[in-house]
Amino acid sequence: MDKAMTVKTETTRDLVWPGLADPAHDSQRLFRQILGALSEPGTLTTLALPAPPQVAPSDALGAALWGVVLTLCDLETRVWIAADLDSPALREALTFHTGARITDDPASADFALLTHESFDPQTPFAVGSDTYPDRGTTLLVAVERLENDSNGADDADHGWRLSGPGIAESRVLDIGDGAGCRALMTRLAGNRASFPQGLDAIFGCGAQLAAIPRSTRIASVEARADSQETN
Amino acid sequence: MDGYNFAYLDEQTKRMIRRALLKGVAIPGYQVPFGGREMPMPYGWGTGGVQLTASILGAYDILKVIDQGADDTTNAVSIRHFFQRVAGVETTTATTAADVIQTRHRIPETPLRSGQILVFQVPIPEPLRFIEPSEQETRLMHALEEYGVMHVKLYEDIARYGHIATTYAYPVKVDGRYVMDPSPIPKFDNPKLDGNPALMLFGAGREKRLYAIPPYTRVESLDFEDHPFEVQSWEHTCALCGSDHSYLDEVITDDKGGRMFVCSDTDYCQTRRGEVA
Repeated sequence: MDKAMTVKTETTRDLVWPGLADPAHDSQRLFRQILGALSEPGTLTTLALPAPPQVAPSDALGAALWGVVLTLCDLETRVWIAADLDSPALREALTFHTGARITDDPASADFALLTHESFDPQTPFAVGSDTYPDRGTTLLVAVERLENDSNGADDADHGWRLSGPGIAESRVLDIGDGAGCRALMTRLAGNRASFPQGLDAIFGCGAQLAAIPRSTRIASVEARADSQETN
Repeated sequence: MDGYNFAYLDEQTKRMIRRALLKGVAIPGYQVPFGGREMPMPYGWGTGGVQLTASILGAYDILKVIDQGADDTTNAVSIRHFFQRVAGVETTTATTAADVIQTRHRIPETPLRSGQILVFQVPIPEPLRFIEPSEQETRLMHALEEYGVMHVKLYEDIARYGHIATTYAYPVKVDGRYVMDPSPIPKFDNPKLDGNPALMLFGAGREKRLYAIPPYTRVESLDFEDHPFEVQSWEHTCALCGSDHSYLDEVITDDKGGRMFVCSDTDYCQTRRGEVA
């Protein structure tokens, strides 16, 4: 009897979605990293916290985005979860640790959990209004990779060149080559046309995190290289 | 301190303010409404700034608090003691040593560095408020980027006095979009807002608004081609450190008209005197 219980505890422990060991100080530390990432778009930071269980499909979420959820979500927030991340375990963990309400309506979501693969530019996330632009969805996106070039080197041959508030000159961020990554960055680049309405995005890859708020100007590095060739 | 959460505010309030701060950073210069709490000090004493500081402050941060540039005046001393008690953080008067600086009406003379956060106490966050009393109207004016009336106000100064007479809370435009009140800092400090490597956060407690200027953001003071923006200058130098390029306070020294001019930034002045000595 005792032995059977021990075995069961062992297996469930691997499946436990971890909370913050010290909620007040851990969430402060993580928040400052998130604040830094949004203040200086395209910079990378690594969040130190236990990773969620490595069980598909929700394992794609990674430690960084789980840390954002634990830091920012509570019973006042609505969270939308993309189908390819969704699992009963994630829903249960989200509700248990944060008390956040899970919604099926992307337009009412404060936060949206998704992956680059499932990003669909047609999903009607909230972009705020001209009078209240802050009432928009913050996208939390698991991406293929996160690499940046803080020097904004002119010889970068892939990724996206960022400029605007929080960036002294320019900075190159690469989130991956997939069609979803391209669609996502194209959608975020469109923020400028509707500013101050728009989507703010926080990217996670494992424990690594970067962000692009709606104030950032985005240009494809490849497009620039192409135009230079034709010149 | 027993009986209180770290940094006084409860965790849910901090999360609410933190979410608002992220939106403020994402929309530079836009005033984000937040659920301002009653703080154990009256409105007008920096309750907005205190709530922002409480939401960002960590146990290992070093805090500096200034009031009109000085570390040793009532408002600065009381807020510094408040955070020493409720967060147990280390405090400093040295601008270079601080991670978080809460300020009332000044930007330190010593250039800020990347990674520092400057928290401003704001009495009235709406730059259009004295022109248009209705919140609904000013919100619409921001939405439509309808700022002509602000230029009319500055023009009226020129028509009446021959120059732009606004000397503090001088309106700025952030990243070419939002007109913003930089809080009642002297216009002498306005150029420091532009492209500053530090993150600047603004909190108004009574009005329950917060806004932000991310690092390296373009911030222009409103002006006219034929009346360009200018900062104040003085014939005097600081009587204590001899500085001829800092913001000076006039101090009355007796009842016979005696007066002296000294740096308003006490840390800057003391550092200079230490270097000279």
